[in-house]
Amino acid sequence: MLFIDYAWLIPIIPLAAFLIIGFFGHKTPEGGGYIAIIAAAVSFVLSALVGYEILSGTVAAPYVNDIVWLEMSPGVVLNFGLYIDNLSVLMLIFSSLISTLIFIYSIGYMHDQGERKRRYYTEVSLFLTAMLGLVISSNFLEMFIFWEIVGLCSYLLIGFWGFKHPKGEKASIAAASAAKKAFLVTRMGDVSLLAGLFVLLNAFGSLDFVSLFDPANIAAVDNSTLALGSLLIFGGVIGKSAQFPLHDWLPDAMEGPTTVSALIHAATMVKAGVYLTARSLPLFVQSTDVTLFVAVIGGFTAFYAATMALNNMNIKRVLAYSTLSQLGYMVLALGAAGYMMAASLAAGDVEVDHAMGYTAGTFHMMNHAFFKALLFLGAGSVIHAVGTEDMRQMGGLRKRMSITSITMLIATLAIAGIPLFSGFWSKDLILESVLHVAEGGHGAASAVFLILFVLALVTAFMTAFYMFRLWYMTFGGEEGEASKHCHGESPRSMTYPLVILSGFAALSGFLILFGFADALTFNFVDGAFVVGGHGLSMIEVLEDIFLNPFAYVSIALAVLGFYIAYRMYEVRDIEPGRYNQYGESSLYKLLQKRYYFPEFYNALALKLAYPAAMAVEQVDRKAVDGTVDGIANSITGGSQMLRRIQTGFVQTYAAFVVGGVLLVIVLIYLIGYLTGGL
Amino acid sequence: MADMMLSLLLFTPLVGAILALFMAGEKSKYARWVALIFSVIPLAISLVVLTSYDMVAGGTQFLEQYTWIETAFLKMQYILGVDGLSLIMVFLTSILVFLVVLFSWEEKERPNFFFALILGMETGLLGVFMAADYFLFFIFWEVALIPMYFLINIWGGPRRHYAAIKFFIYTHVASLIMLIGIFAMAFGAASILGVSQLNFAFDTISGVGFSSTFQILVFGLLFFGFAVKMPMVPFHTWLPDAHVEAPTAGSVLLAGVMLKMGSYGLIRICLDALPDGAVAWQIPMIIIALVSIIYGALACIAQRDLKKMVAFSSINHMGMVLLGVATLSDVGIAAGAFLMFAHGLITAVLFMVCGITGHNLGTRQIPLLGGLAAKMPNYAAFMMFGFMASLGLPGLVGFVGEFTVLSSFYDWALAEGMVWLIILGLLSLLLTAGYYLWAMQRSIFGPLTDRIDTSKVNDVNIFEGISLAALCGLIALFGIFPALAWDLIFPVASDIAAVLVGVI
Amino acid sequence: MIPIEMFLGLSAILFAVGAFGVLTKKNGLVVLMCIEMMLNAANINLVAFSAFFNDVVGQIFVIMTITVAAAEVAVGIAILLNLYKTSGTTDLEDINLLRW
Repeated sequence: MLFIDYAWLIPIIPLAAFLIIGFFGHKTPEGGGYIAIIAAAVSFVLSALVGYEILSGTVAAPYVNDIVWLEMSPGVVLNFGLYIDNLSVLMLIFSSLISTLIFIYSIGYMHDQGERKRRYYTEVSLFLTAMLGLVISSNFLEMFIFWEIVGLCSYLLIGFWGFKHPKGEKASIAAASAAKKAFLVTRMGDVSLLAGLFVLLNAFGSLDFVSLFDPANIAAVDNSTLALGSLLIFGGVIGKSAQFPLHDWLPDAMEGPTTVSALIHAATMVKAGVYLTARSLPLFVQSTDVTLFVAVIGGFTAFYAATMALNNMNIKRVLAYSTLSQLGYMVLALGAAGYMMAASLAAGDVEVDHAMGYTAGTFHMMNHAFFKALLFLGAGSVIHAVGTEDMRQMGGLRKRMSITSITMLIATLAIAGIPLFSGFWSKDLILESVLHVAEGGHGAASAVFLILFVLALVTAFMTAFYMFRLWYMTFGGEEGEASKHCHGESPRSMTYPLVILSGFAALSGFLILFGFADALTFNFVDGAFVVGGHGLSMIEVLEDIFLNPFAYVSIALAVLGFYIAYRMYEVRDIEPGRYNQYGESSLYKLLQKRYYFPEFYNALALKLAYPAAMAVEQVDRKAVDGTVDGIANSITGGSQMLRRIQTGFVQTYAAFVVGGVLLVIVLIYLIGYLTGGL
Repeated sequence: MADMMLSLLLFTPLVGAILALFMAGEKSKYARWVALIFSVIPLAISLVVLTSYDMVAGGTQFLEQYTWIETAFLKMQYILGVDGLSLIMVFLTSILVFLVVLFSWEEKERPNFFFALILGMETGLLGVFMAADYFLFFIFWEVALIPMYFLINIWGGPRRHYAAIKFFIYTHVASLIMLIGIFAMAFGAASILGVSQLNFAFDTISGVGFSSTFQILVFGLLFFGFAVKMPMVPFHTWLPDAHVEAPTAGSVLLAGVMLKMGSYGLIRICLDALPDGAVAWQIPMIIIALVSIIYGALACIAQRDLKKMVAFSSINHMGMVLLGVATLSDVGIAAGAFLMFAHGLITAVLFMVCGITGHNLGTRQIPLLGGLAAKMPNYAAFMMFGFMASLGLPGLVGFVGEFTVLSSFYDWALAEGMVWLIILGLLSLLLTAGYYLWAMQRSIFGPLTDRIDTSKVNDVNIFEGISLAALCGLIALFGIFPALAWDLIFPVASDIAAVLVGVI
Repeated sequence: MIPIEMFLGLSAILFAVGAFGVLTKKNGLVVLMCIEMMLNAANINLVAFSAFFNDVVGQIFVIMTITVAAAEVAVGIAILLNLYKTSGTTDLEDINLLRW
């Protein structure tokens, strides 16, 4: 028996939990929380078993199993099925694992939510179903279906407190608005993705990965069509993974419960976009322009989002910006790897031995999932304890919440890229892969990648700074206003997941030395064109990383960031206010205002869409319906005039009779005269 | 028995209507039972027909043909028959009527007349979808119209008289113009065949080979009749008024089935009998469709009345239906037909939700609502489900329709070198999401409203709950297994498209 | 023999006088009498032509007309009487129940 034959159960189990909790959750303890945990855990175990079979080579990757969903017309068949390769396995394992831990954590975090717990566990189960379904989908349409359900769940969960918010009415309005914004902004990307599907369906006559990634089929399709399709698909990534310029929903999405933020940022939702990029790379690499665009968007988002994290006072928002920035890294890495391949393909050279970007991007996705889940759950633990999200009111929590503070520190070290913690390995690989393209002699593109490399380095510095700033403002220094209300460490259902996750956050980076690079390799053209750390031994990987002088530059920058944060927020002998005129400088305000992006979106809705709608309404009522009513009115008006003839006086009628007779006589004579009779 | 199946299906509701009519005064509380029984029977028959339809053989089945009026100059026949497209519409009609009866279980005002009208309308609607003779088609078309007039005029809102007369005259004028087109076809066919007897049967007229000019002219007449019914901008203004004033049952049947008579007629008559006309009218149809889509979506954003918003969303979605049909490709026609089935189910949910809003809260003004999810969780859940289905959430039936329509439209636009037109279709998806989410944000989210008295407000009652849940189940069922309906529709669309391809 | 033009002239004058009365008189009774006058103008024509063409059908018609006119007058006067009872007047300018 092979477990892979039961791989279809992986999303079905949480789906069953969704249905069971939805209908009967209120009759079970914790509103069905335990059912959700069990379902997620079973999915994880099954994912791990399937993963073992794929990675060990027991089952040849990709494992494909399709059933016909809809035969659109003879020859154009839309399937529903499984496509499981190493990338899917990676996604399956960390999504289900982290979700399991987050669900366990939720037992403590959501304990006081009463009847609403059922809704919470229903929605998160569906969320997990959709995410797992997304990563094992065998074609773009099926993936799009789950993609949209992911969006729906994020809408529901961000708006979880959209009515009856624990913090009162204002917060509930904000939550409802944030949920709408998340759905609408990501839908802009989704619509683009949908258009991409039309392009591909038209060009290939199928949406199956198997036939879309077949080099023979790709060769048969016009290159500009492929580029258009790829760009449109990447539009979906921009929406879902919150890349510039569709990034603005993610900070607002912090209105949801913290566990939901953890799910969205670590296990589900935003990772879907990165997954889609990695998945569609065979199409992207057909054009250097597309891959360059991907890399630029990623690199710019990484830098741009990090700047907004520098001066934010809300613990969750800082984490949200850091997610944006880290996602930018991943997209940058995939773009860089894609560019390498695209350039080689364009040159007719199908042997690229050392484009680590693909491995780096997916590796960072996994590492980020662990440390970001940990950061959010840690932040949730803090918020749970102190009842505020404002870091200025925290501080000194290190003593009161030791487990939370230590696990958060590990996560901070990981994301900051301090050597040996997980973030270090993947971030270093990303920087290296970008540099590799920059050095590759691709003319103007090399210059662009050099700029992206510098941006990425600066981002690494900023990341270290704002993360340690967050840690020190929360756990270090003097006790703040809210810290005094803290009633100690969170319950065990919350701290255990933190401890487990901190183990992963610290150690998952070492996987690169033990075959990850080999496993997450991008095979194309039947293995003739292999990219990634294919076949690299442990020593070679280590050489790669530590013999590169720029690795030490990034480490130095990370340490510098840590040091400045330490001086500013722990020792406090550098006053941060000095550099921003105490919050009055225009740059500071620009960052606080998120580069005025919310205003831009509001203007789009209120100054463009709404007036257009009102104009249509006016035209509809006045012009279109006015014409209809006008026709009716002119008919009734005309008859109103005509009926004045009915005076009711007998003699008027008689006069008409006489007049009529006279008229007839005159006419008869006239006709007779004209026709020559009479 | 089997060869009388369709007549049985057609006239059972009429018998029920007459019976219900007699339940006056004291007995009126039994009228709903009569209505229930006589709406379950057609549903059962339609399911039997559906399951015993031979999909391998395809084509028109269960044919019944009797001569009705025959003189030297005239031959009108009673011909009924169903193919895949008719079947799916017959099923939609019978299930919606059944659920509407259930939904209106608590109707207090003259229930006997109310249910009689609904059943009478069912006969008309079923007749339209099963008729295989143009004159019969027209008769049922008008039969369906009249009960709706009374439903609006008697059970409607404050401006019901205005709305009812507007609905009646507007659509009646359109059907008369359509009738001119039908007579033109009958005369034209007679003159081509060289006989003096006018024959209105589908078989006689379609494929008779009208001249191109004749087809273009007659297509215009018929298309006007159908465009008013669908309704397409700029012939749509009767719809918001009719919906706002109509009782819930009326709205559900009006939007759920009656609008589909227009698009059904377009596919069944215009495309099938007048292929040259269809090709000549393709660009105008696409323009009208795109305008309706964008116009409907924008108008939705501006609405304050929940029901009026839903009414305008019908224009938006029916525009999508026309867009699919207007591509004149097999996938496009099938997609349009599928979407019209999908929209029938979805819009029923939406209008039921609007009905509950008005009935339980006393107002449908969105700015007066707010935070209802806390007070009426089931209501909020149904509303969200309906809105999500309507905005094309994958996994639900609307998505399949929209995906296939837009996909076929993309194919068309690419072939015609006007790819950018697809942007308009996609923009509408965005706008649709926008107005639904905004409406939800203002009505069910946020703090509980204090602008209306919500202290005695009840959630969805059991009858409303059952009918809504059944519809939601169907929406999910056909969303997850779209092939159930698609495989019925596609052969019909494919046959029609084959004729059209021959013309192009 | 008196030429037929004389009869026709008399008839025309009688008819014109009657028509003038119908159109201008206010009293319903007078209008009724004027209508009779017009009828009789027609009768004179019929009789005159009957004699002129030596055809008796015209005279039969006249008798027929006179009979019907008698019935008509009875109905007309009855209506006027009822009108007078209900509205207290026979003035046609006050009776406009069928006004728009």
